[in-house]
Amino acid sequence: MPTITLHDAQKTYGAGAANAVSNLDLEIGDGEFMCLLGPSGCGKTTTLRMIAGLENLSGGEIRIGERVVDSVRQGIFIPPERREMGLVFQSYALWPHLTIERNTDFGLRLRKVPKKEREARVEQVMRALDIEKYRTRYPSQLSGGQQQRVALARMLAVNPGILLLDEPLSNLDARLRLEMRAELKRIHREYRTTIVFVTHDQWEAMTLATRIAVMNEGTLQQIGTPNEIYDYPANRFVAEFVGSPPINILRLDDANRTGFANAAGRFLDQWQAGSEGAGSLGIRPEALRLSLTAERVPEDCFNCPVEVTGILPTGGSWILELAGEGDPLFMTMHEAPEMELGTKAHLWAKPQAIHVFDANGRRSAAFDRSVRQRAFVQ
Amino acid sequence: MQPLSSSAKDPDTVDGEPRVAFVQPSSYERLRYRLMSALREPTTIIGLLTALLFAYLIVVPVASMLTDAVHVQFGDERRVGKPFGELTVYYLSRAFVSPISSTLFWTPLLNTLSVSFGAILLSFLVGSPLAWLLSRTDMFGRKWFATALIVPYMLPAWTFALAWTTLFKNRTVGGQPGWIEALGFTPPDWLAYGQVPITIVLALHYTPFIILLFGTALRRFDSQLEDSARILGARQHQVAWQIILPLMRPALLSAMVLIFAKCLGEFGVPYVLGLPVKFEVLSTSLFRSISSRQSGVAAVLAGAIMLIGVITLLVDAKLVKEARRFVTVGSKGTMNRLTRLGRMRIVAALFAGTVFALSVGLPLLTLFLSTIMEAPGRFTLDNFTLDYWIGRDLNNVALKTGILLSPDLWNAAWNTMWIVGLASITSGILGLLVGYVAVRTPFRPLATFLRQVTFLPYLVPGIAFATAYLSLFAVQRGPIPALYGTTAILMLALIADQMPYASRAGVSAMMQLGKDPEEAAQIAGAGWLRRMLMIVIPIQKGSLVTGILLPFISGIKGLSLFVVLAVPSTDVLTTFSLRLVDYHYTQAANAVVLIVAGIAYAGTLLGQKLTRTNIAEGLGG
Repeated sequence: MPTITLHDAQKTYGAGAANAVSNLDLEIGDGEFMCLLGPSGCGKTTTLRMIAGLENLSGGEIRIGERVVDSVRQGIFIPPERREMGLVFQSYALWPHLTIERNTDFGLRLRKVPKKEREARVEQVMRALDIEKYRTRYPSQLSGGQQQRVALARMLAVNPGILLLDEPLSNLDARLRLEMRAELKRIHREYRTTIVFVTHDQWEAMTLATRIAVMNEGTLQQIGTPNEIYDYPANRFVAEFVGSPPINILRLDDANRTGFANAAGRFLDQWQAGSEGAGSLGIRPEALRLSLTAERVPEDCFNCPVEVTGILPTGGSWILELAGEGDPLFMTMHEAPEMELGTKAHLWAKPQAIHVFDANGRRSAAFDRSVRQRAFVQ
Repeated sequence: MQPLSSSAKDPDTVDGEPRVAFVQPSSYERLRYRLMSALREPTTIIGLLTALLFAYLIVVPVASMLTDAVHVQFGDERRVGKPFGELTVYYLSRAFVSPISSTLFWTPLLNTLSVSFGAILLSFLVGSPLAWLLSRTDMFGRKWFATALIVPYMLPAWTFALAWTTLFKNRTVGGQPGWIEALGFTPPDWLAYGQVPITIVLALHYTPFIILLFGTALRRFDSQLEDSARILGARQHQVAWQIILPLMRPALLSAMVLIFAKCLGEFGVPYVLGLPVKFEVLSTSLFRSISSRQSGVAAVLAGAIMLIGVITLLVDAKLVKEARRFVTVGSKGTMNRLTRLGRMRIVAALFAGTVFALSVGLPLLTLFLSTIMEAPGRFTLDNFTLDYWIGRDLNNVALKTGILLSPDLWNAAWNTMWIVGLASITSGILGLLVGYVAVRTPFRPLATFLRQVTFLPYLVPGIAFATAYLSLFAVQRGPIPALYGTTAILMLALIADQMPYASRAGVSAMMQLGKDPEEAAQIAGAGWLRRMLMIVIPIQKGSLVTGILLPFISGIKGLSLFVVLAVPSTDVLTTFSLRLVDYHYTQAANAVVLIVAGIAYAGTLLGQKLTRTNIAEGLGG
């Protein structure tokens, strides 16, 4: 199966408009399950449609394996019908005038697959997705989840090397969504298809992807495995977009330098090498700890006195609102907090759990280095 | 694990290495790429061809007519004092400032305005209570009335005009006397002809318009807005005056403006009811200029009508925009709660019944009875006859058989069916094509041009549009022979005139379908032709049928376009009946109008069955 390479791909809608996608370099390896993740309007769907050939480029090129399928400079454009891919639309786009069976074997008929083989193939895919009982029905007679399966079956029937999915789960209810996620993972394993999956749901991306490409405002923010994205966000945008409840950001440019900002400043001062040019500091809610006395806070840690101002049970875990000076922070706990509102305590977090970003929001590599060095020395 | 992933956001470096700048494509390369990907599919080519076609069928005639208005016309050289084809303001000054400008333009303008405003006021007074009763109360027979009260709009407007003359005609014109006169009272001229009857007839015809538009707005009204006012302590009348009415204002005004635009182009009613007392409106004045071959003045008048039409619709567009700003509150609150009328239910139903009797029952009954009565207004058994329908050897100069046996009727009916039918099929298909191109072409300007050019005829009242066609196709131009007197000119004009509806239907159908189903087929490997044949056309079958049927219905009852362009050999049913009116064959004329009304009504019902929607709402609106 081929790799997909986007080189400097660009898309603008009309002169003067902001780029929908700008200077995108992306390589999607053979057999990967790549998630394009980002808020709505970030260019992820446009990117997917460019790969499919449904959207023209404004610049750059796209290769599949060694074959250039789209290039402005070379004047090459292979139309979607000759790219041999599969695409599942967000709306499913089933053909309302054809039965489920005809929807499913459409591609095979176009490819003039002999009848026997075609029927066997349709049978197999329909059984795999558990839709053979709807064979003679029309799309409007099916529920959303069933339609979703048909849309998937329709594409899998022709066994494409590359399967593109445009937010295919967003119209399903929570339970179905979970089922379909498992289904997709199974399909990916069984068919060894390269999958490119567009979603704005970080949960979905985390659970499904082998790699995630985070996009914002038409530019690529970071590519990495789900863990890399979560544990080492390349910039503030990625840090804030991934994670729920969202990461706590402590800004250092706060003029008064009181409260949290002050604590953050004090913490950074211990790391001469890493603190230069730092603009903000991020701590994930689950990395925060509370101690009732200052003595119980370990050395070298970020720490700050706070007051518990809110306890929000979420079923199985709890979110605490902690006020100091500045915007409140949120922390998650997995055991029932045995304290009352108004309790005064010390908040702390290990240096390894702290993300430092410079004034432009970029992750500070220097800080990470010095944390690692100190850990090594110890 | 690397602390920093393989690519951080940094446009200048990749993995810390300076990034190799990718050479930007030159503008030539960009253009080549765009052209190549755009021309790969026939969409753009089809778009360009249809754009050319409509430029010729719509833009050129209107432009040609407007230039006629400022150039010396053939035969006018002596009067104007300039050679043929020179620039001149003669026609403008003749229409607007000369001593006869009053007869040509100003008085007809005044009459048009007073008749339209009268009709608007009257239909508002009758229509808005009905709209409220139909959409927000538990009046008796609500469902039935909802359809029955729309019927007047399905019939040609001059059906009512003919019914009126049948009843109120007096000795001012020849032919058989009216019923009232036959009964011994002579109606005065003001009641028989001119402003009063025209106003009433137009009001009857356009009341459904108010009921439809205002009713829809009322139904969509978010009842939570009403409830909030009630909870704060507002009484019912306070809610009505301070909440509902202000919010309904744009919809009401819009309905009124549309009625005005329709009245502006209305020809049949003032022709039948106004002419006997020389009560002229703009459309009849224009018609007179055309029939007396004053093509320069006709062009000026048509241009003026067009201008008023354009202004009116601009006003409407603004109102619709405002209305949209108001009615954004959606789905959930629009539960339609009905006001309980209690004992007033009967009164309300009586009111609706009276309106129905006056606007549908009485006119149709009058027309029908008039076709089976020898002497008007004498209700004795020996006076009834079927001669006018199926009789032979009648004592007439020309029409010696009953209308159903007259070859002229069948000729006209055949003409109507195939001219209007073919034109509707053509415009329906063109409309779908325009919709397809407008939604799918990557060239935005082409899409915009197609939408706008096909909308243009909507701004031009039919009679002015026909004048434009006359101006362009009356003589041979280049390879196109003179088309006046042929069915071709009728067909072309009809196609162009129907394009606003057809292309709107096409565009909205394609928008509703969206790109996805076609793109899915594309991904599955289907080329353009296959996608059209296997996906797009099968899915759009229903809207294609509507797109053909709607123009067909309005084409059948249309008069103003044909009255300018048809000659006796190309008569359609409407012009045939108008000719019969001119010759005072009252029974025959009324019979033909009844036939037209019957076809239009049946067509509407058929359409309603086929599409399961209230098609009357789409009619001509």
